[in-house]
Amino acid sequence: MPTHTASLFSIATGSPEPIYRQLVEQVRRLSAGGQLRPGDEMPSVREIAQALALNPMTVSKAYSLLEMEGVLARRRGLGMVVAESASAPPADRASLLRPTLERAALEARQLELDPDTVLSLFATILKETK
Amino acid sequence: MSAAIVRMSSISKWFGSQRVLAGLDWQIAPGQVVGLLGRNGAGKSTLLECMLGLRDADGGSVALFDEDVAGLSDEARGRIGYVPQRTDLFDWLTPVQMLDYFQAMYPRWNRAKVDGLLSRWGFGPHLLGKPIKRLSGGEQQRLAIIRALAHEPDLLILDEPVSSLDPVGRREFLRELVEQVIERGTTVVFSTHILSDLERVAFDLAFLKDGRIALQGQTDALLEGARRIVVPAAALPGAPLAGEVRRRQQGGVASVIVQAPGDDVARLAREPGVRVEPMTLEDLFIEVTQ
Repeated sequence: MPTHTASLFSIATGSPEPIYRQLVEQVRRLSAGGQLRPGDEMPSVREIAQALALNPMTVSKAYSLLEMEGVLARRRGLGMVVAESASAPPADRASLLRPTLERAALEARQLELDPDTVLSLFATILKETK
Repeated sequence: MSAAIVRMSSISKWFGSQRVLAGLDWQIAPGQVVGLLGRNGAGKSTLLECMLGLRDADGGSVALFDEDVAGLSDEARGRIGYVPQRTDLFDWLTPVQMLDYFQAMYPRWNRAKVDGLLSRWGFGPHLLGKPIKRLSGGEQQRLAIIRALAHEPDLLILDEPVSSLDPVGRREFLRELVEQVIERGTTVVFSTHILSDLERVAFDLAFLKDGRIALQGQTDALLEGARRIVVPAAALPGAPLAGEVRRRQQGGVASVIVQAPGDDVARLAREPGVRVEPMTLEDLFIEVTQ
């Protein structure tokens, strides 16, 4: 099973989203998207805390939440691994995008853009970054 | 929860006719990493100096490790590390002479750690032999941090420790702090204006305003709970909302900051023309300390 490093994560400060939330969302997304597979070993709390210069309690908090949600599992002697049942069906995967899209929708409304303009812009962006 | 490492009760401090600390109460538990926030001149340095007994308070009491700070034992003193905002102490010595001098004072001095930090933080033979007053601001600050970490303190007080450091130096310092917390469970109080650093390492935040701790809590909870509600003034109830921090009105529009939105905010959010927005730490700093 592959062992992942702290480079899995990227943190943005100055966001309204607390750092532990960002970590949780990233693991959910990576596991839903298949970059993290069941049984994969996660980097240790210590490794992430040191690599990203984060308080270890923040990293522990993210891991505990993911464990409670069943995305990660604690394996004796191995630390955290991706849980067997972690990969979600496609419908759930789409729902992970919802918070980001809700924010975009809020801004679109503030800019008074009509839905067609927004959707065609999103379609263009999806093609660009493929 | 175990007994507080720092216990400040009803601390007052006057400078002439100006009251800088106004009956301040503050407790810090073992292992906490607390960021102290406040505007320039809010009294952060005075607060930290009173905490350490370097400045006498005009009223109230401070206990560190359950000892009155005025009669702190040598043992308790040896468990404290302090990086002051300005370090002009011993600046005629070279770094080597200064570190030798302090090493003699602390039984727990970790020579290997000092040597490791000196080499990682760019103190070659040339810098080590130069009088401290001729080092750059950043070099002096790094040296002060090394001195404060050398005796493996249980309580580390940092007063704007990174103001002269570039982003690389700051990141190296944060890593060292994280290491210290992981290895030793050190309790840290850290004042800075660099909010991104606090977001990374401060699990708890305390805002100093008008001589008191105006708001304190876990960094995550403060960010998740804080909301700015922009509402037509006519639709806003006169009584404060649950968890209200402040409100301001300009023209017909009011802006209310709440710490944790309750049912009243949820009801208000359904009214036409009302916006409920999440806040960044910078927003929160501006709203709480202004």
